[in-house]
Amino acid sequence: MRKRTLQLEPAIFGTVNAIIMILLAVVTLYPFLNTLAVSFNAGLDTIRGGIYVWPREWTLQNYKAVFVTGTVFNAFFISIARTVLATVLSLFLTTMLAYTVSRKEYAFRKPITIIIVMTMYFNAGLIPYYFLVKDLHLLNNFLVYIVPGLVSAFNMIVIRTYIGTLSESLIESAKVDGAGDFRIFLQVILPLCQPVLATVALFVAVGQWNSWFDTFLFTSSKQELSTLQYELMKLLSSAMNSNSNPALQNGGDASAAKAMVTPLSIRAAITIVASLPILVVYPFLQKYFVVGMQLGGVKE
Amino acid sequence: MGVKAKKPLLTTMAVAVALSLTVAACSNGNNGGKNSNSDASAAPSASANAGNSGTNATDEALKPIEISAFIGAPGQSPTPDNKLFKKIKEDLGITFKTEFLVGDLEQKLGVMIAGGDYPDLITADPKLVSAGAVIPLEDLIEQYAPKLKEHYAKYWNRMKDPSDGHIYWLPNYGAYQGNVNETFYSGPAFWIQKAVLKEFGYPKLQTLDDYMKLIREYQAKYPEIDGQKTIGFTTLASDWRTFGLLNAPEHLTGHPNDGGVVVDNGVASVFATQDISKTYYKELNGLYNEGLMDKEAFTQNYDQYLAKLTQGNVLGMFDQHWNFQTAEDSLNTQGKSDRTYVGFPLVYDTSTKDYYRDRAVINLNNGFGISVDAKDPKRIIQALEQLMDEKYQKMFTWGEEGVDYQVGADGKYTRTPEQRKNYEDPAWKLANLGDGIYGYLPKIEGTLSDGNATSPGGDPVEFYDSLKDVDKEVLNAYGHKTWTEFFSMPPDNPVYYPAWQIDLIDGSDASIANKKMTDASLKFLPRAIMSKPDQFDKVWQDYVNEYKKINVKAYEDRINEQIQWRIKNWSTN
Amino acid sequence: MAKPVDTIAVEAAIQPKKTRKSKRFKNQGQLMWMSLPVLIYVMLFSYYPIWGWTMAFQNYKPAKSFGEQEWVGLKQFKFLFTDDSFLRVLRNTIGMSAINMVLGFVTAIVFAILLNEVKNKLFKRSIQTISYLPHFLSWIIVTGIVATSLSVDGGIVNEVLMKLGIIHEPIMWLSEPKYFWGIVGASHVWKEVGWNAIIYLAAITSIDPSLYEAAEIDGANRYHKMWYITLPGIKSIVIILLIMNLGWILEAGFEVQYLLGNGVVVDWSETIDIFVLKYGLKQGNYSLATAAGIFKTVVSITLIYAANTIAKRFGEERLI
Repeated sequence: MRKRTLQLEPAIFGTVNAIIMILLAVVTLYPFLNTLAVSFNAGLDTIRGGIYVWPREWTLQNYKAVFVTGTVFNAFFISIARTVLATVLSLFLTTMLAYTVSRKEYAFRKPITIIIVMTMYFNAGLIPYYFLVKDLHLLNNFLVYIVPGLVSAFNMIVIRTYIGTLSESLIESAKVDGAGDFRIFLQVILPLCQPVLATVALFVAVGQWNSWFDTFLFTSSKQELSTLQYELMKLLSSAMNSNSNPALQNGGDASAAKAMVTPLSIRAAITIVASLPILVVYPFLQKYFVVGMQLGGVKE
Repeated sequence: MGVKAKKPLLTTMAVAVALSLTVAACSNGNNGGKNSNSDASAAPSASANAGNSGTNATDEALKPIEISAFIGAPGQSPTPDNKLFKKIKEDLGITFKTEFLVGDLEQKLGVMIAGGDYPDLITADPKLVSAGAVIPLEDLIEQYAPKLKEHYAKYWNRMKDPSDGHIYWLPNYGAYQGNVNETFYSGPAFWIQKAVLKEFGYPKLQTLDDYMKLIREYQAKYPEIDGQKTIGFTTLASDWRTFGLLNAPEHLTGHPNDGGVVVDNGVASVFATQDISKTYYKELNGLYNEGLMDKEAFTQNYDQYLAKLTQGNVLGMFDQHWNFQTAEDSLNTQGKSDRTYVGFPLVYDTSTKDYYRDRAVINLNNGFGISVDAKDPKRIIQALEQLMDEKYQKMFTWGEEGVDYQVGADGKYTRTPEQRKNYEDPAWKLANLGDGIYGYLPKIEGTLSDGNATSPGGDPVEFYDSLKDVDKEVLNAYGHKTWTEFFSMPPDNPVYYPAWQIDLIDGSDASIANKKMTDASLKFLPRAIMSKPDQFDKVWQDYVNEYKKINVKAYEDRINEQIQWRIKNWSTN
Repeated sequence: MAKPVDTIAVEAAIQPKKTRKSKRFKNQGQLMWMSLPVLIYVMLFSYYPIWGWTMAFQNYKPAKSFGEQEWVGLKQFKFLFTDDSFLRVLRNTIGMSAINMVLGFVTAIVFAILLNEVKNKLFKRSIQTISYLPHFLSWIIVTGIVATSLSVDGGIVNEVLMKLGIIHEPIMWLSEPKYFWGIVGASHVWKEVGWNAIIYLAAITSIDPSLYEAAEIDGANRYHKMWYITLPGIKSIVIILLIMNLGWILEAGFEVQYLLGNGVVVDWSETIDIFVLKYGLKQGNYSLATAAGIFKTVVSITLIYAANTIAKRFGEERLI
């Protein structure tokens, strides 16, 4: 009896679950497909509306407009460099800190946690922050992308919580073997934390990749340091601006301003160009979620 | 949110880019009046100087200079091998390093001022003057820039700062020389589809009643257009694009575009809650209840508004032409040119003379100033002077002679269809023209000394070539040659005009009152229009009461004080 | 090696008792060296700039040096708290924030658990990847699609509801104040559900598979396993995130509300951030924004403290 229900029930559940998942996928895929379709559709035609998941009038014009200045290529490499560097460094430092505050015997555990957690809830403001960056000689300096954001309180707490769910006995036994905390951190904690590190790496990398505000504030006068997002923001705002008042753009004659690309379509192309490189990161990280499971099994 | 990664400091501080684009809000597409009193003889003498740059006061050769410039509006830098800038570098030794705004201007200026790091050239903002970030220019211009002096001679007093009498900014538009060909109208009007006019035999529309009658009749006759429900009238009030809803009453009573006030006998008053407004919105209320007014008028965003116009089923709206130009471009490419619009300067009754079209005004508080950090202000003003030469002015607008346009035997500039097409290609423009920075430099507008228009857009031939058959039919039916002829010839501008240019001073009571008034209007006007007819008066009263809570007087006082100041100081040049 | 792991609950219970005094000093030395440099760094980048809070008590002008600023006491706070609209924007902020938080948590957790039940690896990974795509679209794109979908004139939501006979004439979604918070909440879920689930998916991987095996032998069905193993397995991270998010109750943002809002619903759409933007930053008044920031911080820290205390009392995982 029991066996039969066990066989039938999973089948129903599986099917219902699969249907829910597929529905969800359709709903979440749609805006992206729509953006993709708009990015390949002629700008003036898109204004009519009615573009869903397939372009009506194919064109590469929107992408051409994105790549025309050539500045995006250099900016692309800057973006990659800052993303990779900051992610690696941030993961290391944040996890190290998280490990220390996960140790119940550590006397400063609580004050440090409080100090770090508080940083999530206040914001000193733009101007004092600008002065700090200026005083540290980080203006127009590549390091301004990396240095200020290395330790994230949120990520630290997430990692600390994960460490808390790991088996304490592993750490204890390493200590019995004479390992110091730094060695435990390197050899026990880091490998065991792979799933959460993959998650946090994604958070940091996406944050870095999407960031343009630091470029805007601190490095905007140095073209060599421009990031992809900033270049794309530039493009987008200039497209929107030219649409907002063609009369001014053309010395008073709007009839000359027949836009081949419209803000709507260029925004779509920009979104695709900006997000594709980072989108491929996730499927790659997914495998670490599985690795974590295997390690969990090894624990015994 | 389940996982809300701690917003890093930076993103928390980042403010919507959407907001940052409000800068263009008050530019209303002035199209240049026929202001021809600038003597054309000045121009040839100017170009004579071209060969040896700087004949007076600057005998030493001008040394090469790299000028950094910050432009407080978005734009795109030219390509590194841009033809025009290469030429300027070779000829004049000037290199521009331009940075355009990305993001929010207030933030950018805030840190710039706090940090005290300025580029050589910076576009105008009142904050920069009060921060002491820019230097007075009048002596530099007198000494080193005869062409600029000549160019701005008529506006010299207007350019002076109201508080200390110095000139800090070089206006980028509105200083004309020679004839100005006005062909295309990009300002405010009540717009109506060409097809509607055709249907009723091209009637002459003068009053709001004429216009609404036509819309009602057409809608009754054609409840659907191309399978879509006909929308009689719509309006846009989204983000900063609120003039479509808010500005109509001033025009209906024969006032020019002074923004939020009407000026009678030199006294400005806010008209939002006056009877002249009530009449208009009551009319819209009627339309709404008859089902003729777009139900989504007050919730649509700009993209939806354009999409709607592009479908061709909206009969009319009040707007400024440049605001919906893209929709017309799209209609034209779809072959639906009969669904594009003609603008009429409607008034409440025929005894009022329409005042929609205005004369060009000098674009005060715009253009570049030179910052206190500039190492060589003299060389910078000389550089701007060098660029005022017609030789270079032409390159910015027409391009390279023989390549981008031809000079005929009669001296007229012409372009082939291919050359024209280039101008529609953003990539080509970035490599060959200097649109970005040119928009902010001092420039010659109107007519060149050789009689050609300063830019292809002002050329009558270019205009006629762009007309569709439908357009020609409409123009012929009304006996007009250009779109501007639908509007009365504007009188000379009152000396204080336009009031919308008056700086309210950020953070002042006047400025805060202005913000609150707009908010109240955007909140109550839709309610009033969408109410049942018998409820209208009640909602209107709520609206008026809401205004009573606002310090409207602070706003009016500031405007009136500045109007008086202008009358006193600008009446002579 | 150490003893086999039983359950997480058991682990947690025995942890604190195990510190050995003899090792304590040595351990602390290394821990200090590992944490102090990072701490100094945080003090520099996060705490040092707090001197900027003085701006809230000034009429700050960027052009002036610190000594030249005009001190105005509590004027900025007064402006903030006495404005007619302050209570309204506070209500809207908390309302939308709460809706977003509840919806966000519930949908992400449910999604993570359901996805975890999918057995086909390729299918699972594909769904996971697809679901996080909208996170990369800007709000302006998402709100554009939302507005189009909710249109009175052929919008898909009205079309579907009419076909199903639920409504008889199109609803003007975006001009009804009562729908606004819900629309904002739903938009957030749509955009972020996949992204928000990532952290729970990672947490689920830390659950020992042997627990499931043991439960199966005991005859637990799928729902039992979800309820008694998976959910408790991610409980600690859920509680931590809840506490942390509670501190952000006044951070309802401004972008969505700004993009979806309009004059008709303004009484229900404006948040504190929009208010500060309009009367602070847009008026060149940096001080007002700083004052609002201080207010938010005070609220956040009070809430966190309260939530943390409650969690402590119930013996749950806590933030500090």
